[in-house]
Amino acid sequence: MATKFRYPTGARPLLIEETARRRRIESRFVSILESAGFSEIVLPIIDYAEPYAPILERGSVRQSYRFVDREGELVGIRSDFTPMVARALAPSMSPGELLRVFYRGDVIRCEASRLGANRELFQIGAEIVGDPSPAADIAVMRLAADILRAFDAKPLVVYNDTSLVAQFDESTRTALTTKRMRDGLPPLAQKLIAGTATIDDVRAFDAQSAERLDAIARELDPDEFQLHLDDIDENNGYYTGLRFRLFSAGSRTKLAQGGRYDTLYERFGTPAAAVGFTFTIDELLERRPRAGWPEDVSSSRRRDAAEPAAETAAFPE
Amino acid sequence: MRIAIPKGRLQDKTLALFAAAGYDVPTNDDLRTRKLVFARGGIEWIFVKDCDVPVYVEHGAADAGVAGLDQILEHECGAYQPVEMPFGNCRMMLIAAPGAPPLTKIATKYPRITHQYLDSHTLRAEIVPLGGSVELAAVLNLTSHVIDLVETGETVRVHKLELQDLVAEISPRLIVGKSIYRTEPKRIRELIARIEEAKNASTQSQVA
Repeated sequence: MATKFRYPTGARPLLIEETARRRRIESRFVSILESAGFSEIVLPIIDYAEPYAPILERGSVRQSYRFVDREGELVGIRSDFTPMVARALAPSMSPGELLRVFYRGDVIRCEASRLGANRELFQIGAEIVGDPSPAADIAVMRLAADILRAFDAKPLVVYNDTSLVAQFDESTRTALTTKRMRDGLPPLAQKLIAGTATIDDVRAFDAQSAERLDAIARELDPDEFQLHLDDIDENNGYYTGLRFRLFSAGSRTKLAQGGRYDTLYERFGTPAAAVGFTFTIDELLERRPRAGWPEDVSSSRRRDAAEPAAETAAFPE
Repeated sequence: MRIAIPKGRLQDKTLALFAAAGYDVPTNDDLRTRKLVFARGGIEWIFVKDCDVPVYVEHGAADAGVAGLDQILEHECGAYQPVEMPFGNCRMMLIAAPGAPPLTKIATKYPRITHQYLDSHTLRAEIVPLGGSVELAAVLNLTSHVIDLVETGETVRVHKLELQDLVAEISPRLIVGKSIYRTEPKRIRELIARIEEAKNASTQSQVA
């Protein structure tokens, strides 16, 4: 009886209006992705845990619900699309084949990724498989930005190259990931922490990364696509190069993320470069005006109160 | 920008450092109103329990804050920690009564850190999470050991306990959320630079 009215933490139904809104958002996504030449694939909600064991970090494993099925196999509920896409596509891919695919569905995670967030998240993502060029990186970031623009929001894409940090020793990586300056750091690490590093600084350290970042940065509007060389994570999971996050300009809620994972397909049988992104649609559904945060906080509150739907109005109501 | 200030032992020194960095911080009169949110100089200052600062910053409800390393580690907070504060240092210690039995049970406010300590020392013990006055668990033989913060050591002495091992050196840090770092890098870098400068000035004046 205690659970008569409750749902498990992080799970909830969408009722009529929210469902209709989600479906409208979803259909707009599908329309844009199909127009861009992407084809849909459908992935199972459960899969054996074993094929993913060498790939997933401890944190990702902890995030997934797992159980032993009747045959005694360890099975996980889908918590991340990207490795599942690789496992599904890799065995049937021919060397050199180029694919553009998209997918949609729920992922279920034991721990919500942020306060009050759902454990059940509806995601839509897209990938270009088989193209290792910077042009594919650019195409994927532009597509993510275009999707957001289709909802009348101004996109802000923050990107970096994860392969850089992997080349530093552990102690330097700690300084970089905490953003704390200390004596004895390599010159590039000092500049990264100070926020003054440029692609030219990277060139002396890793010419290949610098060349690639240069090729990407040259093609993109720097107001909308910002290269943050210092945006370094402690854990890059399966990402091998480009990594990016998409925000609606003026908001601090991450709406999508993506990047390049060139070694993932190889683990499932066929070497293929891949780059993609995933939108969490719940973030779009839940968006509330928190934009701007101008100098006068109290006046921004008044503005928010007067225009409660200012930011959300752009999304299908 | 929203900054989370820890209530309790770090509050006054944290506010003093922000004031020294030129920020218009809430005054004692403000704080006596028992409000927890103040808008001053374009910043929203929120006052939260020290253990909650990493939670607010990690989840984007605050853009920056000041939190002890104990709370950062316990919450596995992934926020940046650009400045180590020049005050509030203490040690996290393994503590027991003299002649205590072998380590079998540890009482602590920090179960996650305690797990890591046990794993790193290949030790096995039951963890008993408590909310406060942790030393009492060892005094009353609820557990064989406790893991807690030690600042002056007075509480340990008063209860006739002994320090057995250092778990971690603890210091408060300015923590900064990743989202603001990505979306407003100039503004947050300015904050970090001003706090770093005020910290250095304070450290130098103490040396002089």
